[in-house]
Amino acid sequence: MNAIQHIRQRSFGWFLALSLVVSLVACTEQSDPGALVIDPKTNGELTLEFDNVVGGTNLALGKATYKNSFGEAFTVDAFNYFVSNVVLKKADGTTYNVPNSYYLVRESLASSQLVKLTDIPQGDYTGVSFVLGVDSTKSASPVTERIGALDPGTYGQAVDMYWSWNSGYIFVRLEGTSTAVPADRNGYYELHTGGFGGMTGKTVNNLRVVSLTTPTPATVRTRIAPTIHLLVDAGKVMDGSTKISLTSLYKDRTFNGIHSPEAAAKLGLPDNQQGMFMVDHVHNDPK
Amino acid sequence: MIRNNQPLAHQPRHLRVARWLKRLTLAGLVGLAGCATDSSPAPDEPLFTVPANFPPPTYRFQNNALTKEGVALGRMLFYDGRLSRDGTISCAECHNQAYAFTHHGHDLSHGIDNRLGTRNSLPLQNLAWSQAFMWDGGVFDLDLFPIAPIENHVEMDETLPNVLEKLRNDPAYTAQFKKAYGTDEVTTARFLQALSQFMLTLVSGNSRYDRYVRKEAGATLTADERAGMALFTSKGCASCHAGALFTDQRYRNNGLSLAFGEDAGRAHITEKPEDRYTFKVPSLRNVEHTGPYMHDGRFRTLEAVLNHYADGVEDTPNLDPLLKQTSSVTPGQSRLGQSRPGIPLTADEQTKLIAFLKTLTDSDFLTNSNFAPK
Repeated sequence: MNAIQHIRQRSFGWFLALSLVVSLVACTEQSDPGALVIDPKTNGELTLEFDNVVGGTNLALGKATYKNSFGEAFTVDAFNYFVSNVVLKKADGTTYNVPNSYYLVRESLASSQLVKLTDIPQGDYTGVSFVLGVDSTKSASPVTERIGALDPGTYGQAVDMYWSWNSGYIFVRLEGTSTAVPADRNGYYELHTGGFGGMTGKTVNNLRVVSLTTPTPATVRTRIAPTIHLLVDAGKVMDGSTKISLTSLYKDRTFNGIHSPEAAAKLGLPDNQQGMFMVDHVHNDPK
Repeated sequence: MIRNNQPLAHQPRHLRVARWLKRLTLAGLVGLAGCATDSSPAPDEPLFTVPANFPPPTYRFQNNALTKEGVALGRMLFYDGRLSRDGTISCAECHNQAYAFTHHGHDLSHGIDNRLGTRNSLPLQNLAWSQAFMWDGGVFDLDLFPIAPIENHVEMDETLPNVLEKLRNDPAYTAQFKKAYGTDEVTTARFLQALSQFMLTLVSGNSRYDRYVRKEAGATLTADERAGMALFTSKGCASCHAGALFTDQRYRNNGLSLAFGEDAGRAHITEKPEDRYTFKVPSLRNVEHTGPYMHDGRFRTLEAVLNHYADGVEDTPNLDPLLKQTSSVTPGQSRLGQSRPGIPLTADEQTKLIAFLKTLTDSDFLTNSNFAPK
């Protein structure tokens, strides 16, 4: 009150100066210790950003040419994968399981690369883990539970992530052109990984858990909704712990890269794909 | 609407009788219609009934309770070519009621653009008792089954999202979805479960054999048929074609020659060497009308099938142990002195077995107008 009266008595220049101070105070409000107080009664939000790349280069579907460790040039025409059963780990070691978390990340759909987790308890999160694929329970669940990312009625041919003839989801799908693939295969490579362990008979289980730690905590608060920015290296599908040469792969004329969990397992695709993920950084953005 | 362990109500002895009864009932109704005002409508027939000689079904009805409107929707969908890319192929194309819902006469089933599949379409009957579907058991839930033929390039060559979109744009369908589910929303689950509802009503359990084993009045088998029934057990057919369903639902290699082309069968799904060349044991119900036989339809007649078991079984990898027995060959039988696997069967035994197999024909099932296109 006194200040305002004072301003009224002074020149307009003083008013401007004070405004500047006030606005500076407002800008620094985020670093106000009050904003970092955890409110246990209110849940917050956290976003997982899946930023698909090939090595050090952005992923551009269809157009860009990349090279694997054998020097074979390839394009990426489709890159999709399921992320499920997300678990957030706090600095104190406790965990929070995100309920009913099933997401289909598609390079062709930007919105699918931002997975917004809502209703998250406030806290400092330093780790995230998830299943790469759709867990076996959900893979065998009634059709009424197959909603959202799990609804096979939403995929269509271009993003088909479901094996109708061998009931199950395709966990990771990478395909594109390569001069290393023979013409009778249309110069097209297809690496599809599925296989949840079988329902009516035990089959290969290609599910993998990805566990990551963050370089700095993601601070979920009433007014802070962090983003954990992950880099997902599609190049690792061929160049992970196992190095895959498309030339030698397609030398075998019976090679079936799309319909065989067994072939995917033998190639080492599940482990390679487990290694695609890293946390690049965390930004604790105001909400 | 599920009635358990109760005999099918009002089973006529013969179709002809059934037809006459129908006519009589109709005449009666017409006669009554003029004057009767207090007559209550006939109670609805149950949509699904477990024949008294059947085990309990395995389908999880609690997830998909049958309703009259749901079954009607499923029936509409089953007979609609729009489930295929160009509108030409409905489910009924390869699953024709008159042939116990098989693709009669085709060894391999033809789909869109007359493209040829690799397998012979299986009959659709008693699906509520099936634990897995397809010759290789690749689909484990009836509710998930239709996606396979819809999206198969040689069958219907369509995508599930496209089918749902076509239905959403058709007022006749949105109206029926509303009747069945309360709102007109067309979802994957509703679409698939309606198809299941219709398919679940396809129960075949009223053959002459069934009425005979249920000891229904007037149900008889001839001496040859009874002899065939005894052979069916004594020769071991019933070891695999077991129980009231005439299948143990397991996967077995019955020694088919690989000269007709190699199909890995169950190993296509499990990718296990011990499953190579094994296929689901098919039911023998209505087998008189489900030919040709085997996963690739190689045998055009039942005689050819029995001849295979008597003289054609080959010792391919994973041949079922039950077919490896050769010690029971006795004098007078066709394969005396031979050491090849199979089931020794004389011509007379084969004739009697076939006579028995034909008692599994359920004419009511093959002609039930509830199962036909509306």
